[in-house]
Amino acid sequence: MTTLLEVEHLTKRFGGVTAVDDCSFAVEQGTITGLIGPNGSGKTTVFNLITGYLRADSGRILFSGRPLTKSDPAALYRAGLSRTFQQARIFPRLCALDNLIVAAGHSWHSLFARRRGRDDSRRARELLDEFGLVAHAEHPAGELSYGQRKLLEFASVLMSEPRLVLLDEPTAGVNPTLVETMERHIRRRHAAGFSFLIVEHDMSLVMRLCDPVIVLDRGTRIAAGSPDAVRADPAVLDAYLGQ
Amino acid sequence: MSRAGVLRALIFFGLLTALPFAVTEHWIVNLGVFTLIYAGLASAWNLVGGLAGYPSLGHAAFFGAGAYAEAIYFQHRGVGANGLLPFLALPVVGAGVAVLGLAVGWIAMRTRSDVFAIVTITLLFVVQTLAFNLNSLTGGSQGIGMPGAPFDVDSYERPFYLVLVLLLALSMGITWAALHSGAGLSLQAVAADEERARGIGVHVTGVKLLAFAVSVGIAGMIGAVWAYYVTFIYPQFAVDPLITIGMVLMAYLGGRGTLWGPVLGAFILVPAQQYLAYQYGATQLYLIAYAAVFLLIMLLLPRGILPSVGHLMRRRRVVTERASEEPDQDAATTGIGADGGVMVR
Repeated sequence: MTTLLEVEHLTKRFGGVTAVDDCSFAVEQGTITGLIGPNGSGKTTVFNLITGYLRADSGRILFSGRPLTKSDPAALYRAGLSRTFQQARIFPRLCALDNLIVAAGHSWHSLFARRRGRDDSRRARELLDEFGLVAHAEHPAGELSYGQRKLLEFASVLMSEPRLVLLDEPTAGVNPTLVETMERHIRRRHAAGFSFLIVEHDMSLVMRLCDPVIVLDRGTRIAAGSPDAVRADPAVLDAYLGQ
Repeated sequence: MSRAGVLRALIFFGLLTALPFAVTEHWIVNLGVFTLIYAGLASAWNLVGGLAGYPSLGHAAFFGAGAYAEAIYFQHRGVGANGLLPFLALPVVGAGVAVLGLAVGWIAMRTRSDVFAIVTITLLFVVQTLAFNLNSLTGGSQGIGMPGAPFDVDSYERPFYLVLVLLLALSMGITWAALHSGAGLSLQAVAADEERARGIGVHVTGVKLLAFAVSVGIAGMIGAVWAYYVTFIYPQFAVDPLITIGMVLMAYLGGRGTLWGPVLGAFILVPAQQYLAYQYGATQLYLIAYAAVFLLIMLLLPRGILPSVGHLMRRRRVVTERASEEPDQDAATTGIGADGGVMVR
């Protein structure tokens, strides 16, 4: 097993608050790694640091062995690092198909090529089909339900054939049926060779889907390991339940 | 391009081109010249203000830059026996202003929405102040003149008019190409959610700078034609907030982000403004009437005429289709999607 993502001694401060404090962990290729922790433990900040939306104060991040020198989300995405957002960010005025095509991981050349390249269209339709959204292909994405938007956002970041997908609370705010749907899609993609790093609050989902699980508290890693090991770890119990 | 689209463009530009040959009244062709100036400006503004969602209020600065470039260059030079040299210089003016736009945009486009609007309108006043004070270059408040065109008195406006038709065609052609290419898709993504667009690999900075440079380049060329047309330019008219506001209002009225909306807005507002000024000019009431018309339309059609009308028509079609279909028909197969991409077709 090779290491896809390494986070080494990462620190990020916002004014007097240290959101991420000397945090280190790794994501192995082919895993669904879970990242959990109490509210405010720095999970989303870690996501933003990894995906280039924020610049770390110190520490470094290596993606497939190479250090990420500049924080440029677009370049990282094209290099195979995809992410979704907590609030299902899609482009509401664009139709579902265009929402996928725009995420195809563009070269400069494509700016001057047709809006819907044949290859991109075909792959986008296949993905819409896989995610059960093909009936909405030509409809503005703003007409979709919240859960469908989450699926659409997930589908769109797969357009670049990413090596690692970061999902920020993929099932937050959606109904139980859709949680199962989302889980099924993650498992299917995992079986197809994709690696995942998932921030999630639904503990039962994390415990049955993720291995290993990394636990953050106050910006630093307090435990990592199999779901069972993490669940039994006194430091984790302490962080979640307090003294 | 769809066949209807080609037909629409051919008819529109055919009629436009025919007008100065069919009509000889100077005031009508003159009105045509100013309508085309604003149609071109609104269409160019739409590239960055509509498509990319960056509401620039500084475009008049680039209009003025083009006007001054033309006037300063031809100030002490001949315009050629046939008077066409200033028109031949337009590509150079456009390229120069576009490069200027790249530099300005590189800084200004670090801000967004309302802050961007304030930064760009500040730019406008900076440029106007420069035009007032760089006396040796611009003549300051004395203005600067260039040689008049040696055109036939009976059809003096016609060459300007036709060049402006060409510039409008250029602007609309670029808009059409953008809407039908990856560039337009990227710009629409930037307009909707720039941060997320960055996260899915869109060349955000590149594509929005490109749109800004092309947009202000066209505005600069239109400014150059305007300078040649009026032959004498002053800072308060060459770099005029009313020009900025005019093009923005027209794009909003007709429909931002659409191909025809800004042009439609110009073809309604410029003649209407002239008419109102003529009817009520003596009492200054025309400004109030102008504002009232605009407020009314913004209240009733907030997204602009074309998108609002398109939306109404689609809804009506869906309703009629639903009525004629089987009652258990899945809503997803009804007509909304048939011409879904709201902004494209």
